[in-house]
Amino acid sequence: MLTHVVHSGEVSIKVMDLTFAYNGDYIVAGENLELKGPGLVTLLGPNGAGKTTFFKLLLGVLKPMRGRVYLNGEDVTGNPLKAGVHASLVPQLASVRRDLPVTGYELIEMALRSRGVRNPERRERVKSALSLVGAADSAGRKISSMSGGQLQRILIARAIAAETPILVMDEPFSGVDPRGREAIAKVIEELGANKLVIVSTHDPILTLNKSKLVVVFNRGVKGVGTPDEVYRLDLLRAAYGPGVLSIEKCLHVLS
Amino acid sequence: MYVDPRWVIVVVGSAATFSSLSPLVHARRFNFFAASLPHSALFSVALGYLLSATLGGHPTAWAVVLSIPLSCLLVFFIHRGASEDNATSAFVAFTVSGSVATVYYVLTKFPVRVNLWSYILGDPLLAGWEDVWTVVAVGAAMVTVSAFTYYKHVLIGLDREFSTLSGIRASLHDYVLAILLTLSSVSLLRVVGFAIEHIVILLPAAVAARVARGAREFYILSILSALAASSAGLLLSVQLNVAPAAAFGFALLALYIASLLRG
Repeated sequence: MLTHVVHSGEVSIKVMDLTFAYNGDYIVAGENLELKGPGLVTLLGPNGAGKTTFFKLLLGVLKPMRGRVYLNGEDVTGNPLKAGVHASLVPQLASVRRDLPVTGYELIEMALRSRGVRNPERRERVKSALSLVGAADSAGRKISSMSGGQLQRILIARAIAAETPILVMDEPFSGVDPRGREAIAKVIEELGANKLVIVSTHDPILTLNKSKLVVVFNRGVKGVGTPDEVYRLDLLRAAYGPGVLSIEKCLHVLS
Repeated sequence: MYVDPRWVIVVVGSAATFSSLSPLVHARRFNFFAASLPHSALFSVALGYLLSATLGGHPTAWAVVLSIPLSCLLVFFIHRGASEDNATSAFVAFTVSGSVATVYYVLTKFPVRVNLWSYILGDPLLAGWEDVWTVVAVGAAMVTVSAFTYYKHVLIGLDREFSTLSGIRASLHDYVLAILLTLSSVSLLRVVGFAIEHIVILLPAAVAARVARGAREFYILSILSALAASSAGLLLSVQLNVAPAAAFGFALLALYIASLLRG
């Protein structure tokens, strides 16, 4: 059983004895983790490490076999309606349907509508979130005609508009071109100033130097700490397996 | 050319009913359910006649009471992990076999006052005032409920997990949509007919999805396309003496082809 406690502020995520498996294949087993914000936390792990499942457990979308999840002290285990009060999600691009005739603006507005936010506040929040991510110009377009970067900004704006103290971002750089990645990384860094932002990625270069904490994850937490503490060959190999990895070549980023 | 106001009300009313639900079906990928609906509706109506003849009561009321648990059962099995295709196949197998057995039994054992053929082919031109009020009541209820829940269904369809974090009870909305579709389907089966009911549910959204520039337009265009097709279908059927439901279906198909050609 691993226990990691990192304190640095007001917002908190606490996981106690978290256990979950798909058909006997354990993603987490007796996991304990506490994160306090605000700040940017990078969840680093290879594809198939279970990062998305871990996020689903944090957000109550999946119910663990054992253990509890607390967001800002409230037990949200297996209850996404409760978790949504504290946290919002930027899902992977691939998990959002793009064939429906919906504009970027509507995508954000619908989410606020379902949270019971009424006009004119709803309009103001949409406008403000779009402006924050620099997507005001593309918001009137249908999501089916947007590039990966444009849609990712809209999804980030949608999460920001919810005004929750915790933001969970699942692979926000996937499917985005290099220029778009830089812009999104900048937005994420700014968000980390006021919120607890957890970003999952298998390619940490964009967030590593901006992160207050890095969680190395592969079927459980393999290490937690500052980038300097955690971004080490032994921990990376524990997460990614032995052998020469392109990710090891990125250690110079920290120096 | 004589056009009875009752024909206009039932045709336009049923078009508004189904087309207001059509974008929800499209957004939620409930097409499998819509395709199975006419089968369960016919089964329920046939059983409704059987129960009405033996126990009394209104056959449509019996049909509604029987059909809702049936539809909810399908949604329940899908929630429990059954694949949509497999669950629908089993559901259709059960309802089709059941409706054939029941229709056969009713036709051979009971003096049927209402021709069951009208449920299969659909015949709005036979509509009486009772049918008119049924269509008006069901139509008003469906348009109102669909308009109020539309954005939630679109959000669930776009990204189910995010929608639950936004405060939407997605599973509850699955049942709500299934019940709305079932109620419309059973209540209006006689007007639209078993044969083309699922087309009337599916095609308006398919037309609107190709031309709409946003979610709001998607909903409005779905209703407008069905209203235009139903009106044209009614006029064509009276003018050319063809089945009204078929003319409605062809008019919708023509709109869909036009939307495809538009690119």
